[in-house]
Amino acid sequence: MTDIDLERLGSVWRQQPDPEELERLQRSAAAVSRRARLAQFVDVGAAILVALVVMVLVVSSGRVETVALGGAAILVLLVSNIRLRRLRQVELRSMGGSTEDMLDQAIERVENTLKYKRFSLVAIGPALAAGYLVAWSTDRSVGSLVDSVRNLSGVGRWWAVAWLIVFAVIAIYALLSMRRSRSELERVAAMREVYRQESE
Amino acid sequence: MPPFEKIVAEHGPLISRIAMSYEADPTLREDLVQQIFLAVWQALPSFRADASLKTFIARIAQNRAISFVTRQVRQPPIAEMPELVEADEPNPEQSAIDASERRLLVEATRRLPVPQRQVIVLILEGFNYAEIAEMLDIAPNALALRLSRAKAALKKMLERTP
Repeated sequence: MTDIDLERLGSVWRQQPDPEELERLQRSAAAVSRRARLAQFVDVGAAILVALVVMVLVVSSGRVETVALGGAAILVLLVSNIRLRRLRQVELRSMGGSTEDMLDQAIERVENTLKYKRFSLVAIGPALAAGYLVAWSTDRSVGSLVDSVRNLSGVGRWWAVAWLIVFAVIAIYALLSMRRSRSELERVAAMREVYRQESE
Repeated sequence: MPPFEKIVAEHGPLISRIAMSYEADPTLREDLVQQIFLAVWQALPSFRADASLKTFIARIAQNRAISFVTRQVRQPPIAEMPELVEADEPNPEQSAIDASERRLLVEATRRLPVPQRQVIVLILEGFNYAEIAEMLDIAPNALALRLSRAKAALKKMLERTP
């Protein structure tokens, strides 16, 4: 015999949970929807509040630089909010699609995350150096670039050490996080491979 | 669209059973159930009645569960799933499960490779072939092949169980 009675097994599988279990599920779902509503409210509320504060500061200062900086801050806030919403929509769409599509999108997402982390790791050193270069170029009284590094005052030296520590911490965090992402990528790709083999 | 509470009352057990077929650890399972509820809550506005609500929820629950187990570091590769799954710690939820046949069925289902488990769980949930093929976005003959492999594997496991 090669078959099993799926209809009978189905009725075993779908045994009604007891009222206590149902009650627990409903409590859990109610808590989830409450938290989700609150998160939505906080998301939108925080964005509006920050935008309002920046606008008030900009208007009350009246200086061109402040207006430019404030405008840029609001723009960044807006763009990051829109980006976040799009990412959520993409994730939601993938949950409502086929599993293969969901796994393909997960692979793409983790690969992009890895690329971003790799770029951040490589870019942070040059970014710090460029920041120092800009600071030096605005104050040529300190002499040449090499002199300015050699003649760092006591406080300046501490700042440089602090920045180096920050750089090292960020680099270590990025490396660990990249390792996690690589391992996640391996697991998702392995799952995708199982589906590929299954469809052969 | 019915309110979320009503949807949970009607389809909560389905969500719970799908989570149970993917996650043996009760704490992680509770986490998974909550993640599925959240995914359903977020996806509800996008629900178009071109399929039943039950189909829509089952699809989200399965995808969320697969994504969840894939992200778990402790999860061994699918091909190396252990032959026997450890029994859950006794808890109120577990005691609700029939001590014999249902528990064996759940354990056997958990040991199936994920694509086969997906098909078997949907069959056990009472979906018809057309709904399953549409849900998994696969051709009917591919579904038939996957189901026949899944049935054979499940039968073997149930027979092997003392």
